[in-house]
Amino acid sequence: MKNRSAKTRISTRALLMSAAFGAALLSGASTVSAETLTVWSGYPEMAPFYEHVAQGMKAAYPKLEVKVEAIALREHEKRVALGLTGGQDGTTVIELSGSTATRYLENDLLPEAPADISTFVKDPKNFDKFFSDTAGQGGKIYGVPLFRGQGALYYNTDMFKAAGLTAAPKTMEEYSAYAEKLTKRDASGKASVSGWSMRLSGGGQGIAEKFWINMHQYGGAILVPAGEGKWKPNFANEAGRKALKQYLTNIFTTKTVTPEMPADADAFERGQTAMFIRESWVIGDIAKKAPDLKYATAPLPKGSIALPTNLYVAGKGADAKVGWEFAKAANSPDNLVWLLQNVGWLPNRSGVDYSAVTSKQPAFAAFVDYPKGYEFFTLPSIGPIEEILTRVAAQLVVAFGDASLASDDAKIDAFLKKASDEVNTILTREGLGAK
Amino acid sequence: MTTNSVNYIEPTTEELSEGVRLRRRKRAINFAIDVFLIVVSILMLLPLVFLVANAFKTPAEMLSWPPTIIPRDPTIANFSAVLGETPLLRWIGNSIAFAVMSTIAIVATSAIAGYIFGKFRFRTLNILFALFLATAIVPFEVYMIPLYFQAKSLGILNSVWGLLLGYLVMSFGIFLIRQNVIHSIPDELLEAARIDGAGEFWIFLHIVLPLLRGALGALAVLAFFQAWTAFAWPMIVATTRTSYTIEVGLALFQTGFTVDLGRLSAASATVLIPSILLFVILRRNFVQGVASTGLKE
Amino acid sequence: MLKRKRWIFAILAILPTLAVFAYVRLYPIADTLRLSLFKWDILSKNKPFVGLANFRELMGDHLFLDALVNTTIIAFGVLILTIPMALIIAALIFHRTRSRMAGFYETAIFIPHVVSLVPAAMAWKWIFDARLGPLNALLTFFGIPAQSWLFDPVLSVICIIVLCSWQALGYAVLIYIVGFKNLPVSLYEAAKLDGASGPQSFWYLSIPMLKPITLYVSVVTLVSGFNVYAQAFVLASDAQGAPGRQVRVLVLDMLENSFRNYRVGYAASEAVVLLVIVLALTLIQFSMLRERGKA
Repeated sequence: MKNRSAKTRISTRALLMSAAFGAALLSGASTVSAETLTVWSGYPEMAPFYEHVAQGMKAAYPKLEVKVEAIALREHEKRVALGLTGGQDGTTVIELSGSTATRYLENDLLPEAPADISTFVKDPKNFDKFFSDTAGQGGKIYGVPLFRGQGALYYNTDMFKAAGLTAAPKTMEEYSAYAEKLTKRDASGKASVSGWSMRLSGGGQGIAEKFWINMHQYGGAILVPAGEGKWKPNFANEAGRKALKQYLTNIFTTKTVTPEMPADADAFERGQTAMFIRESWVIGDIAKKAPDLKYATAPLPKGSIALPTNLYVAGKGADAKVGWEFAKAANSPDNLVWLLQNVGWLPNRSGVDYSAVTSKQPAFAAFVDYPKGYEFFTLPSIGPIEEILTRVAAQLVVAFGDASLASDDAKIDAFLKKASDEVNTILTREGLGAK
Repeated sequence: MTTNSVNYIEPTTEELSEGVRLRRRKRAINFAIDVFLIVVSILMLLPLVFLVANAFKTPAEMLSWPPTIIPRDPTIANFSAVLGETPLLRWIGNSIAFAVMSTIAIVATSAIAGYIFGKFRFRTLNILFALFLATAIVPFEVYMIPLYFQAKSLGILNSVWGLLLGYLVMSFGIFLIRQNVIHSIPDELLEAARIDGAGEFWIFLHIVLPLLRGALGALAVLAFFQAWTAFAWPMIVATTRTSYTIEVGLALFQTGFTVDLGRLSAASATVLIPSILLFVILRRNFVQGVASTGLKE
Repeated sequence: MLKRKRWIFAILAILPTLAVFAYVRLYPIADTLRLSLFKWDILSKNKPFVGLANFRELMGDHLFLDALVNTTIIAFGVLILTIPMALIIAALIFHRTRSRMAGFYETAIFIPHVVSLVPAAMAWKWIFDARLGPLNALLTFFGIPAQSWLFDPVLSVICIIVLCSWQALGYAVLIYIVGFKNLPVSLYEAAKLDGASGPQSFWYLSIPMLKPITLYVSVVTLVSGFNVYAQAFVLASDAQGAPGRQVRVLVLDMLENSFRNYRVGYAASEAVVLLVIVLALTLIQFSMLRERGKA
């Protein structure tokens, strides 16, 4: 009873509120001034780098304000898709892998680079043709190459020593044999430290990407070009069987790893796994989180993924110019050396002397001084690439949980055939399938 | 009656002993029920107790086996780390702003619409009411994607307004207030006011609203918690670090970054405690509100 | 004249609410139905009408079918776990209404329903943790081998059912307590005079008389079970190093199709399937209630 008036007052206000809500909605829209540059990144660890680049631009652009928004990759890709299709406010520098950017280029959602930037990127002294190709389409340049994701083996040298191993494994057979020796077990024989950490669970395409890297060592691929812009799966074969069987053997036969064991960089840093395959950023991560860890890196047996990431600029007219300047400034030798040293992602620009960093941190050698004939592959630049990888990943998770596959080649083949057919269905649906 | 006297009486009067036995049996049964309910209650609360306890553990203790329940050497390092590394307070602020505004909007729209539907029996209105009621069964998840594009075209993504768009009205709220209007506001009262020359709006403000206080209070608590615990909608609407609600912030805190259960727990505990406190304070309102959801007849 | 004036007031007063309602409810619902018939990809410029092609594709999409099966199992699993437990606990709390502890029981059992989903799921994630979790500690203490709860295809679904039931229980108990309070006392007194024991009158009186409430709670539980998302998301969110098995549920598959694969039309057709399921459940509830009314 006592707060009757109060309640009535609140409700009156609420009444007005409901009537006025339309106006309020509009006032919520934000505006971005021309002097502001937004940088969208899909790697949180890259944020300091972009801020460093912005600092360096202070001299030329004293009033420029750079807002770096670095979030998890998947969320980043979502905001790019929704931002680009819905009219982006202000100038935004967008970090995207070449394969992801393609579908935006196909739909004219990202502008072509201005002439001077285009010349800079096309100059073979600056970038290898592989990189300038992934930054463009149909001979035109749309992005500025920056860094690449490239895999190598990380191994814990203390654990290797304890297991009597002196060098990194060189063939996939050795990987399995090493994993068996490196696995530490508790009294019941259950693995407590995995010999070789593999990506076996979780949501999303990572599982398929990692599988692809392993299969690449056997000469297989999830997708290969089939000419005329068409694609076809290439894993329902011997390479696919060998790669999958290696996973299954490690899980079910030698029991060197289980899906629920801690995995990835985290586990490696905490000494919960002896070796795993990952990109160069782990070097920076280890330096930050486990500086005392004794480890080394080694190139993979046959070759690695090379996933180039470029900077694109969304924005119009004169405002966009500063965006392109930012992309170019990010590629200045000083900044790239800073990137390698502090973040650990591999810069793509050639003709820069990285030895100041690589000589001090031998772990980079496996990424830079790879053997002759080392074969790189990259993700195809097609729209449904993520859907395809996600679906293959979902299939793989089922296979990784099926002990009956481990010893039955016919079953493995049937499984691969099924997954391959599913990939074909998606390709056909999108008009990308080979006849 | 003490237990000693029982021994005395038992051999004397059969009826009396029967009564005592029954009473003892009843007491034993009640005791067993209490034990059972206490165990159930503790089990229900246990996960939350674990969470709060984990928040105070050191990283080493987090990884120890067997797991401990009460932290051996409690630390607040997790809390300071979380508060330093994430805009946790900002996320909580976003959640509160969103929940409060949603509550106001829902209470306002439900009060008006419930009153009109309850006391103004025109055919047009009856049809409208049926429409409101029919959409109540459609889960939010079914239409949130088109709604997302509406929010986008209004340019209100990543803002409290965008969050609010999904939580402006509540079909059940309208239904609840309508039931209350029908049952607790006599037509005679309104007629008398009209004869006295009161305007319709005045009647609503000064007669109807005060009478609906209890129901609106219950609805408000319900609406608040509905927005406070919302997940799927904030997850797609708020995608910048500064616009996350606490639910989304916490969920994304563990993806893309290192998992550190101690810190995660600290962040979670920080969120948990105010909402539990709020619930305990508003329990009566809340129970009334929730209970009324079950009376759809 | 007066009537006309009142009519105008009513329409004017309802108009703002109606406008909001039309904009945030009716329009998006209609739009979902419309989009489900289009190949509406966020990124492509032409978004052609494809009729029922999306639905045909759904029928052969094993991820969607997986999600449908998982979601159905979760929804019914929660139902089977929650309803009997809620009924018994509510009966016992009602029995002890006058005890000082009644308020505590109610609060304790209800708190999981109001705490935010994500922190709650975090707590359970630790409980289920294969290496460090207290659940496995308890199991090994009793000599039962530890299980990898969040990774096994069957166990990971059970984990979600347990988590959802934990949250749903409080609501069901509360509704049942209200139901018990509304039951006629005289009937129980009569039963007592006839020599019926507590459990007997619970079985032969309470359960039949609470049937409409059981029906209502069941449908609410089922519908919210079909909308499960946050629980699956948090239990399996793929943080590096400690992911769990992704239990695919409908809402998750829907969001993935629209925001990762950018196939909004396809996702809308999934939403329509979800809508049909929920409508069917509600219709069943109504028809059962009506039947009861006739009998």
